[in-house]
Amino acid sequence: MNIIEIKNLSKVYDEKTIPVYALNGVDLAFKQGEFTCIVGPSGSGKTTMLNMLGGLDTPSGGRIMIDGTDITGLKSRQLIDFRLRNIGFVFQSFNLIPVLTARENIEFIMQLQGVNREQRDKRTLELLQSVGLGEKINTRPGKLSGGQQQRVAVARALASKPKFILADEPTANLDSKSAENLLEIMEKLNREENITFIFSTHDSRVVAKARRVVTLEDGKIVSDISKNQGTGIQ
Amino acid sequence: MSDIRLAWRNIWRNKRRTLLTAASIFLAIFLALIVRSIQIGWFDNLTEIVVQSYTGHIQIHKKGYWDDRDINNSMVFNDSVLAVVRSVPNVDKTVPRLEYFALSSYGKQTKGVMLAGTDPAREDALTRLSAKVVKGHYLQGTGNGILVSQGLASFLGLTAGDTLVLLGQGYHGISAAGKYPVCGIVHFPSPVLDNQMVYMNLATAQDFFSADNRVTSLSLTIKNPDEINTTQAALQQKVDGGRFEVMSWDEMMVEITQQLKVKTAGGKIIIAILYMIVGFGVFGTVIMMTNERSREFGVIVSVGMQKSKLAMILVLEMILIGLTGLVSGVAAAMPIMLYFKINPIHLWGSMAQAFISYGIQPLMPLALKPGFIISNMVTVLIIVSVTCIYPVRRILKLKVVDALHK
Repeated sequence: MNIIEIKNLSKVYDEKTIPVYALNGVDLAFKQGEFTCIVGPSGSGKTTMLNMLGGLDTPSGGRIMIDGTDITGLKSRQLIDFRLRNIGFVFQSFNLIPVLTARENIEFIMQLQGVNREQRDKRTLELLQSVGLGEKINTRPGKLSGGQQQRVAVARALASKPKFILADEPTANLDSKSAENLLEIMEKLNREENITFIFSTHDSRVVAKARRVVTLEDGKIVSDISKNQGTGIQ
Repeated sequence: MSDIRLAWRNIWRNKRRTLLTAASIFLAIFLALIVRSIQIGWFDNLTEIVVQSYTGHIQIHKKGYWDDRDINNSMVFNDSVLAVVRSVPNVDKTVPRLEYFALSSYGKQTKGVMLAGTDPAREDALTRLSAKVVKGHYLQGTGNGILVSQGLASFLGLTAGDTLVLLGQGYHGISAAGKYPVCGIVHFPSPVLDNQMVYMNLATAQDFFSADNRVTSLSLTIKNPDEINTTQAALQQKVDGGRFEVMSWDEMMVEITQQLKVKTAGGKIIIAILYMIVGFGVFGTVIMMTNERSREFGVIVSVGMQKSKLAMILVLEMILIGLTGLVSGVAAAMPIMLYFKINPIHLWGSMAQAFISYGIQPLMPLALKPGFIISNMVTVLIIVSVTCIYPVRRILKLKVVDALHK
């Protein structure tokens, strides 16, 4: 069953002067447990696509259904609440809250959700251990390496038990060892806990790990390859 | 992690900036409190002097008396009138007086005087007149002995034990004349009073002016001077408003009140400028804090925090900085205000001389009242809150995608 369905999605900038199509009539669907990469050259619409999927940006046309909810019809407050309960984010620049420790950064999401302290503590520890940072629980981001910060960011994204995680170039600011390490963790979480990951990336290592690769060019899908099911072009 | 803890940690991200902002608030509230404390202390001191030297906090007259201080504008005074006045809870001491001009004569000298008939015990309780006696003794409860001010006595060339002739016009134009033994000489630091005052028993004065049971004023002090307006209103309700006027000391001493108002306005302008400078300083901090964290705001909203909650945390941060400066400023100013309230500043030079010439001790006590402390604290908090409008608007209008790319 599809957890995300995108229908005729478009995003046009400068609509009234010289229209620029960041996305142009995209149709796409994602199933639970996918490990998908969206690739394409700069300006192809990868980040715009992820922003739309995450409800961070509003489309110019089309619909995005997430688990039966059309998020394009939600108001700002509803969208924020929807994101909190359904979507996890991993950003290129980690974007942890600098004044909070690793534990507090993860707890922060659960606090917003209203999870009680006991459950928060338990899940925070589990998540930090699952990303291999059980010993860095009380360390602030400034004292962590880039790779460690991104692992905390993954744990934070998982904290809300989201339906899927959107990762925008998660390895772009990491050295190869850290990137490899991070990918292993995400792949393991996907394999063992059936968590859905959708990446946008230029990184060939990420592409190599992905089980499905969607290629965008000029705001359109030019290929959609599922590695274990052969090739299919939309 | 509570919102307050998060806000508290956020403000210490940039310690130097936070400390500078808090320091500017500290300095503003500290200076504002000291300036206001001096002003209010000066105001209260002067009030006390004016009240204790003659007027009392409030006076009741026949309607129109204050504009036309004629003996024909006197009023009947008896125990029932006093009972009505004393039924107002805040009323403390009361002094009935019959005052009018007369001509004094001793030997070959003649001079116009202000003759004040009063109740000696009550007068002493209000104005401590007995302490001003420099020769002879204070008025007795009965008898027709009089007190003559030192300047007047010197002009007439009389002293205690001599007899003064008084001539004048009494109630309804009846001739007033009498000879009175001088029981004592009183000294007033104010030359105006010292050159013209004659005191006698109220009954003696009523007899002299043929004004039985009449007084020109009933002066009264109140227990809590801060409640002068409510007490005045209560008295006005109790007495017949059509026949009597109830006036506070500042309504009677208009010149002094106006001088005080000018001084107070000057101080308030200084404080307003101080607050304006602080307001701009705090606003600068707010702008910096907001702009450098735009990306972070984008992240926080994207992971699920409502913008309103984020705005509230930012307001909390500013209020915490404000409170840090505010509490430390008040804490620093309080002991200074308290010390100089208990140990008034001794004035020197020409200012001290000016005080002395008006019969005022050259002392300036500082005031320490919760009212002006709280109002200044509230003003600072309002300034801080107003500066928060900018970041709150920025956050509420935040476009997450744009913020994430900053």
